[in-house]
Amino acid sequence: MQININNLSFAYGTKTIITNLSLSLNSGDYLVVRGKNGSGKSTFIKCLLGFNQVKSGMIFFDKVDITEFKSWTKFGYVSQNFDDFNYEFPLTVGELLQISSLKKTDESTRLKLLEKMGIFDIINQNINSLSGGQLQRVFIVRAMLNNPEVLILDEPTASIDKQNKEFFYDTVEELHQLGITIVLITHTDDIERLNYTHLLSMYGDLTTTFEERGVEISGGVL
Amino acid sequence: MMFLSFITDLFQQEFMLRALIAGVMLGVLAPLLGSFVVVRRLSFIADTLGHFSLVGISVSLFLSSLGITMFFDKPLYLGIMFSIVGGLLIELFRRSYTNFQEISMVIVISLGAALSAIFFSLSKKTGSLYNYLFGSILTVTDYYIYIILITALIVALLFIFFGKQILAVSFDESSAKFLGINVNLFQIVFIVMLSIVVSVLLESAGVLLISSMMVIPVAAGMKLGWSYKSTLIISIIFSECSVFFGLWLAYTLNIPSGAAIVSINIIILLVVAIIQRIILKKRIAKMDKIQ
Repeated sequence: MQININNLSFAYGTKTIITNLSLSLNSGDYLVVRGKNGSGKSTFIKCLLGFNQVKSGMIFFDKVDITEFKSWTKFGYVSQNFDDFNYEFPLTVGELLQISSLKKTDESTRLKLLEKMGIFDIINQNINSLSGGQLQRVFIVRAMLNNPEVLILDEPTASIDKQNKEFFYDTVEELHQLGITIVLITHTDDIERLNYTHLLSMYGDLTTTFEERGVEISGGVL
Repeated sequence: MMFLSFITDLFQQEFMLRALIAGVMLGVLAPLLGSFVVVRRLSFIADTLGHFSLVGISVSLFLSSLGITMFFDKPLYLGIMFSIVGGLLIELFRRSYTNFQEISMVIVISLGAALSAIFFSLSKKTGSLYNYLFGSILTVTDYYIYIILITALIVALLFIFFGKQILAVSFDESSAKFLGINVNLFQIVFIVMLSIVVSVLLESAGVLLISSMMVIPVAAGMKLGWSYKSTLIISIIFSECSVFFGLWLAYTLNIPSGAAIVSINIIILLVVAIIQRIILKKRIAKMDKIQ
């Protein structure tokens, strides 16, 4: 899927968070959005996913304006700390995946994904008893159930240990190799380990730079 | 002896049998809808809708007092319609106060209470207010049983066809659109379904006790359940127990049935909480011993 963002600006009330951000991604690209806490990464993602209504600038998916875009199943999304999800109410991993796959043919895809992510044996466990790493794998499987063209991962390594972090980066790499467009948001500078194709750096003072692995395309916008 | 005569009367006295049939059906419906309400962290919504349903009932009584009957002679109809309006108002306000969703309920509950007081006063039937506040399952009619049956069928059909979607939206509203769900549509379907069930519950549980019938069995079920399905089944079992023993208590002590049912619900919750605490303490002691 082609993603084009033209002169995106966004403010919460009078507080401006993003100013004149432009970038383009093609199918199969791997974008890392880097920035410290409060630099506007999550706001950017909320704009991209249509949670924040964009009033200034344009976002296009395959040349369709975001306000007209309906094919949201082409996106897989793993939110930061899964905080939008009520995982305190009893629900097993199997039940979560069952309510997340609306097509009946998804059973074999689901089993393959579970096996690949190493969480096949926790299918009957209550999700509130899982570790941060296990929970993250479950949510990646959920995001992958509808075979998305774009996978968006918001601060996915914030609450997991080093071993799980390595597993996660390898998984993202594999998914990228399969041709899925990846958008990965991170607040760490530990990005050299990642095999990204594009990097968007947000500096927290409304300045941003967008580069294609080593080659700056646009940036320093104030 | 007392219990035996209760069982005999339960099947011999028509009003008792009607109460039991209504109670059994509501015993399933209340925790079923209650589980969604709890998942969405909107436990007060049933109270709020109940207050708005009361507006419909009071308007109906007011219109009857003016001689305008049409279908207003059955206050439940207007109760359902107003409850739906209240539900849609909550949804509207909830979208304007996304981070303070409970504000929407305070606005609607206040409006509901104020309008009910006005119309009950205008209809000069404030005497009937007690029944609507606390309900009485022992006085339900055949007509009411049919209404519950139709409601149960509608809810069952909605769950057969859209259960997954409603659950997905309840657990995670923001990600539901990536599953291909029309979130706004299912929010409205859910709120309309909830509004109807609340209005139907009002007759037997009363405005003040509706929430308890919906939420307390689920609160107890959550303590023992290991999955959504098991939690729901346990909640329904608790709910049915409270209906049965509540009726027995109401019959034996001659106290309001709604209050008796809710009291049993609370007792079940307390017993479950105590047992859970004891088991937890024993487990910790066992682990300390091993270490």
